Amino acid sequence: MKTTMDNVILKVSNLKTYFFTRRGIVKAVDGVEFELRRGECLCLVGESGCGKTVTALSILRLFDSPPGKIVEGQIRYDSLDLAECSSRQLRQIRGKDIAIVFQEAQSALNPVLTIGDQIIEQIKLHLPLDYSRARDRAITLLSEMGIPSAEGAMSYYPHQLSGGMKQRVLIAMSLSCNPQILIADEPTTAVDVTIKAQILDIFRELKTRRQMSTIFITHDLAVVAEIGDRAVVMYGGKDVETASVSEIISNPKHPYTSGLIECLPDISKTADRLTSIPGTTPNPLEMPQGCAFHPRCPKAMKICKQQEPPEIITSKEHKVSCHLYT
Amino acid sequence: MKHMPNHKLLKIRNLKKYYPVTAGLFSRHIGDIKAVDGVTFDISEREIIGLVGESGCGKSTLGKTIPRLEEPTSGEILYKGADVTNLDKKGLRELRREIQIIFQDPDASLDPRMTVGDSICEPLIIHNIGDEKKRMERVAELMEQVGLEIRQANLYPHEFSGGQKQRIGIARALAMNPKLIIADEPVSALDVSIQAQILNLMIDIQERLGLAYLFIAHDLSVIKHMAHKVAIMYLGKIVELANKKEIFENPLHPYTEALLSAVPSFKSKDKDRILLRGDVPSPLNPPPGCHFHPRCHRILPICNQQEPELAEVSEGHFVACHLYV
Amino acid sequence: MSERLRDKVRGISQPLYSNARLINYYWQRARRNKLAVFGLAFIIFLVLLAAIGPFFTLDPTAVNFEEKNIPPVGFTIEQSVYSIETDELSTKEIHGTRRHPLGTDSKGRDMLAMIVSGARVSLLVGLIATGIAIILGTIIGVLSAYRGGWVDNALMRFTDVMMTFPFFLLLVLIVFIFGPSLAFIVLAIGLTGWTGTARLIRSESLSLRTREFIIAAKALGASDNRVIFRHLIPNVTSLIIIIATLSIPGVILAETALSFIGLGDPTVSSWGIILEAGQHSLNTAWWVAVEPGTMLFLTVLAFNFLGDGLRDAFDPKSNI
Repeated sequence: MKTTMDNVILKVSNLKTYFFTRRGIVKAVDGVEFELRRGECLCLVGESGCGKTVTALSILRLFDSPPGKIVEGQIRYDSLDLAECSSRQLRQIRGKDIAIVFQEAQSALNPVLTIGDQIIEQIKLHLPLDYSRARDRAITLLSEMGIPSAEGAMSYYPHQLSGGMKQRVLIAMSLSCNPQILIADEPTTAVDVTIKAQILDIFRELKTRRQMSTIFITHDLAVVAEIGDRAVVMYGGKDVETASVSEIISNPKHPYTSGLIECLPDISKTADRLTSIPGTTPNPLEMPQGCAFHPRCPKAMKICKQQEPPEIITSKEHKVSCHLYT
Repeated sequence: MKHMPNHKLLKIRNLKKYYPVTAGLFSRHIGDIKAVDGVTFDISEREIIGLVGESGCGKSTLGKTIPRLEEPTSGEILYKGADVTNLDKKGLRELRREIQIIFQDPDASLDPRMTVGDSICEPLIIHNIGDEKKRMERVAELMEQVGLEIRQANLYPHEFSGGQKQRIGIARALAMNPKLIIADEPVSALDVSIQAQILNLMIDIQERLGLAYLFIAHDLSVIKHMAHKVAIMYLGKIVELANKKEIFENPLHPYTEALLSAVPSFKSKDKDRILLRGDVPSPLNPPPGCHFHPRCHRILPICNQQEPELAEVSEGHFVACHLYV
Repeated sequence: MSERLRDKVRGISQPLYSNARLINYYWQRARRNKLAVFGLAFIIFLVLLAAIGPFFTLDPTAVNFEEKNIPPVGFTIEQSVYSIETDELSTKEIHGTRRHPLGTDSKGRDMLAMIVSGARVSLLVGLIATGIAIILGTIIGVLSAYRGGWVDNALMRFTDVMMTFPFFLLLVLIVFIFGPSLAFIVLAIGLTGWTGTARLIRSESLSLRTREFIIAAKALGASDNRVIFRHLIPNVTSLIIIIATLSIPGVILAETALSFIGLGDPTVSSWGIILEAGQHSLNTAWWVAVEPGTMLFLTVLAFNFLGDGLRDAFDPKSNI
């Protein structure tokens, strides 16, 4: 069996990020484990409230602290533990080694600066280039992203660009310092279907041409099927199933995963009615006892209400947390 | 979901909604945003029409113009034979009993200051239906229909989840026994597993109450389960209109083809995707000739000169494209 | 006044609920802010003082030159006394007595009684003048936002013009013309102080007007009236409450300032009047100025704390 250990570029172990609010402790991330391998696209999949965004923010410690805090766990990158390292070390990594692209392109760009200025600022922050070299680099990046007349586009303000263009500018900015890892938080969620296709294409290119290691966060399993290599399905702040994308789609083990697959309004399906998962996603302040999914699970057993399920490794590097497999 | 042909409920003829754009100190009229630019189609009783298009294509504006929440610039809207554009205040109120809207953002569409029971009851009060007791009974009935518990009627919107809020919106829309419901992207803001619940609910209600829907969406995959007919909109115009089977199996307009291929699907991992170049142009300054021509992968020389008309190419299948004229 | 207000009340859009269960919800949030709770407590104390205090104090208008300039209880001062018989200036020690716990002024009037009756005046001025200003401001703001078009333009230009008048000078003018009676002062403050409110309410209404629940109400067939009164105004109520709470101190201070420059109503012993008299005797009878000054300071502080606390409690985004 090929050892994949040397290939691992980021390893998240038992990560717990809690938010201490006046209304109670929100256990946004409650024991998440996964590794990102070099050159792969790892998808974090789940619906709203499952903790996937907080997981991504935790990697670079970008959440508000207080009230948030990493209470346990390690995030191993290079020789550092990002959960524990100093702010100075973290700042050097942010943007340069690990870059993040956010969902709302509108709010991530500064409305009073041209996009050229913003990209150049990003470049000069981390690389020892003078202004004109940084500018050239920015123009190259923009045209790589498929932005027409990139040189002229440098002097545009964000409001002059469409949603899809803004998203592309953001991706260009994140790539400006050649990061090792790119984290993309739902980049295709707020855009139209045809723009979604363009953006997915960009990510595909990133993988093939630059061998970029990506963590791609989404709630859309169809997107996962398109560009993911491996997927981590999250629910209630925990990872419930991890496997390669083809395994997850053809052989889902956790009832939530199979539920998600079934209720997708897939264009290739012919059935008249959609299957759905009854109930709603749990309130993070009032997590159910035992397995967080049990109130909605069609296969719930008595033990599911009492005990949290252990992690079980089945074949082919397929991990699942469910009592059905003990 | 067998569809029986029924009476025509709504006929829209060459409907236009322009927003004038002014500039300068004296508000000079320099152009129009042609949000809806000559739309023609019909909705029959019990029919579900899916209206699909991307942001900026005018589908939401069309949805709001039909019940005159936005005033049409020109064109005809005939509801049960009567011209909606000419209705007086009283007639408009009557119309509002029969045509209802479900909105996209469940958060914003409920008054945060009213209990949900009051919100559902409001149409009954506005139209003076029944007395207090009868109204309470009706609210209870409606809440049950959408899968909510009656005891929740005293709660406020912020105490519900997104999916539940959308159910409340549906209950409110059903209060007056409408004939036509315009659903403006009702599931776009919801999680995937909840989307399925709400879509199923809407299908159930449609079958049970015999409603017609104008279902506005930006995603063809959602339409597939609901619609009898599908209309594709681009920059204010309908570019293709056909029944569901035809649209999905035999799309004619290049934009429809691109939309279909753009939807990520499990089976499409390695398929050839039609990638449209560029972005949707601004409705203030649409390209000459066919509005779609700069992004079209099957363009002909005539396309940048003449606008194609929406024409029936085979039975019930309309398309506006020079390829088929 | 309006600039400070605009700063303080930004970001409010959660309405005030009339359901007891939800008033409790807001109360739970509000009471976590200790300062706001102190503010509320002080205001309640002030209201009680103004309402029933006068029944327990001496007559504030009773002039008694025998007992002039007595310091508050516990203090002792030296007063120089001129004796006609001996034609000498001698110093005499005057002690505070429990009969006049806060001392007396230069005419022998009991300070405590005057402070208490002043509280009544200040609160009345505060509430009534603010009431007038708020009602005017809300009507203009909502109408402007809802009607739009030329109505909006006309009303806003009118508001702009009113705003350019120096508020205080306008007050002085009105009082100068119509005479310094308390009623006119209150009216004057009310009629000139609505402009900030109008702007704030208008901008809040504008943003509410395009919210989907307003469009939904219209889609259900609601008339314009119903939309305004049943949907728009209830959703600006919390903003109104906050503006009111934060306006009251300004209004009280406006009355004080008027009194201070001599345009106050002399028949009434408001804190401003007492302050004005006291400024002349800071050397000999400091308490005459310090006591109303302290009361004013505490009152303004209390309303500001309460207003801030309410704003935080009502703001759905703040994490209390």
